[in-house]
Amino acid sequence: MLDVWLSGLQGILQVRELLFLALGMVIGLLFGAIPGLGGSTALALLMPFTYGLESFAALALSGGVMGAVPMGGSISAILLNAPGTAPSAATCLDGYPLARQGKAGLAIGAAASANSVGGIIGTVTVLAVLPIAKRLVLLFGPPEFFLLAVLGLVVVATTSRGKLLRGLITGGFGLMVAFIGYDDITGDVRFTLGIPYLWDGVHLVPALIGLFAVAEMIDLSIRGGSVAREAGNVRITRTLSGVLATFRHWRTVLRGSIIGTVVGAIPGVGGVVASFLSYSLTVQASRDPESFGKGNIEGVIAPEAAINAKDGSALIPTLAFGIPGGAEMAVFLGILVLHGMQPGPMMLIQHQPEIYGLIWALTAACILASFIGLLFVRPLALVTLVPAEILVPVITCIALVGSFAVDASIENTVVTAVFGVLGYIMIRFDYPRLTIVIALVLGATAERNFHQAMLMADGSWSIFVTRTISLILLAGIAALPCLPILRARLRRGRGSGPVSAGDQR
Amino acid sequence: MRRAFGTPIGDYLPAFGLALVTALYLAAAYRYPPDAREIPADVAWTMLGLIALDLVSRTHTGLGRALMRWFNPAADREDAEAKPHYTAGRQIIAVLWLMGFAAALNLIGILYAVPLYVLAFTRLRGGRTWRASIAVACGTTLFLWLLFAFLLRLELYPGALIGGR
Repeated sequence: MLDVWLSGLQGILQVRELLFLALGMVIGLLFGAIPGLGGSTALALLMPFTYGLESFAALALSGGVMGAVPMGGSISAILLNAPGTAPSAATCLDGYPLARQGKAGLAIGAAASANSVGGIIGTVTVLAVLPIAKRLVLLFGPPEFFLLAVLGLVVVATTSRGKLLRGLITGGFGLMVAFIGYDDITGDVRFTLGIPYLWDGVHLVPALIGLFAVAEMIDLSIRGGSVAREAGNVRITRTLSGVLATFRHWRTVLRGSIIGTVVGAIPGVGGVVASFLSYSLTVQASRDPESFGKGNIEGVIAPEAAINAKDGSALIPTLAFGIPGGAEMAVFLGILVLHGMQPGPMMLIQHQPEIYGLIWALTAACILASFIGLLFVRPLALVTLVPAEILVPVITCIALVGSFAVDASIENTVVTAVFGVLGYIMIRFDYPRLTIVIALVLGATAERNFHQAMLMADGSWSIFVTRTISLILLAGIAALPCLPILRARLRRGRGSGPVSAGDQR
Repeated sequence: MRRAFGTPIGDYLPAFGLALVTALYLAAAYRYPPDAREIPADVAWTMLGLIALDLVSRTHTGLGRALMRWFNPAADREDAEAKPHYTAGRQIIAVLWLMGFAAALNLIGILYAVPLYVLAFTRLRGGRTWRASIAVACGTTLFLWLLFAFLLRLELYPGALIGGR
């Protein structure tokens, strides 16, 4: 096994391959930072250019892009509340409040190091798991996918403990929106108001750009000033503290990386679930859950570790079964086929050096992109000092045109604007945005898998209690809402200070 | 501001708006076959229950305060904190700028809407000089054209009035 790992590493450590890796990283950082672009657009754009390249060079280029996109997405999420990629939306929740407090350097430092460590942990896990990947992935069927979606929703709803009721309401609203469009199982088109664009449902990326970037720009234009409230307060020198914070909160990094690795390996679930689940569980585990959403550095570390750990494990279903975990992996699948590598169980046997070369490239890109991010912290953090009257129109333009660019659909701009106003109303009237995102992502998946599970079991609910993984997930769903109450009782029993507001129920 | 049950009427508006949307959603759901409406209808009925609780929790009655304490303690505390107050007019104007830009994108296309919006915003709303406003407008348009039209070879939407869909 070791010799295959080394041959993969050797394949990547050639001058030409390293140059392609660097090129991929630069493209990945740029495409990651601009809302609406992301890894799938970058890979789709590069696909024709890889045709003339050898396999290792093409994989280095692709690995560079995929490894660097998350770092680019984090930078814009932290500085402008504009998630460059959908999973980075979770980083906005605490990264942007830190930037507003003038601690953009701290947040970017933490994001960069969590990115690297998460990437490394993800790689190590993939290297260990790849040989037994087939058996693991086959344990999940429609009942498990349905329960996994419900678990995700429960986790996030219980996270907004201080605002549980409002969290549930926004989650419910997210589900209602997620049901819009063509229903795969019954063949009905629902809630589209006769608009053909809505047959595909409400597109996630334009909605996220609206909820976070545009809503924030509306807020900033009303508030005036700049992102960082006081110019003299921007402390860019705290980057090293951010890097060290990742190691100080090693449990958060480890938890995020494990969640990222597990969720990433499940086809169709994707990075948004990984990052939000990691964030939610970190809030659950924290002794000070009330500080999240107001600039807690663990709120940056948790999603960042998950996002990069997910990238490695998303390769498992893509390579072992030819089932892409998301849009980015679907495009990457095309690149593999273009280079004569047919994904599937045989690929794990016939193209081992290339696979391990790709994994090394991905890991190297994670680490190097983080270094590049750190190098540019100072000029990047100055963006938070740009006056609102200049920043607002520029970012609004980039957000709406980026939203259009997702699939060259002008209707996306309307979705972004509507969700921007919705996001602003949520900010003003104190509704959490966390639950709406996870509901938007998981709603359709949950419904589809529920119907499929019912079809499998001829309408019997017993299917959810007769399979081992389903049972474990059910136990998790039942136990999670009880955790805050148990914790509160434990604290009262120990008499360790005041009970947090979230635990008063 | 006028109050109902001790709370400004404006604070009830989001919950009432959401209740109206949910009721319409539910009415639409019952036009679909049972299999297709099963889960959406369940979610919508649950939503109506939750919104009712939210409405009650916003009142300054005994039950309202109890619900707030149980379900939204963080929101309760934040109510007590001094929150910045912006006039409704100021907020509506900010939303109208965005809606105007979105409409312009759809009507006159990206290449005309972007410079016009940036120029108008920086000059009229931001009070910057003409020179600075024109520079920011040109810079933004050039950046977007270079990235999307030149590098990505994406056809920028020309606008419904100028030949778009």
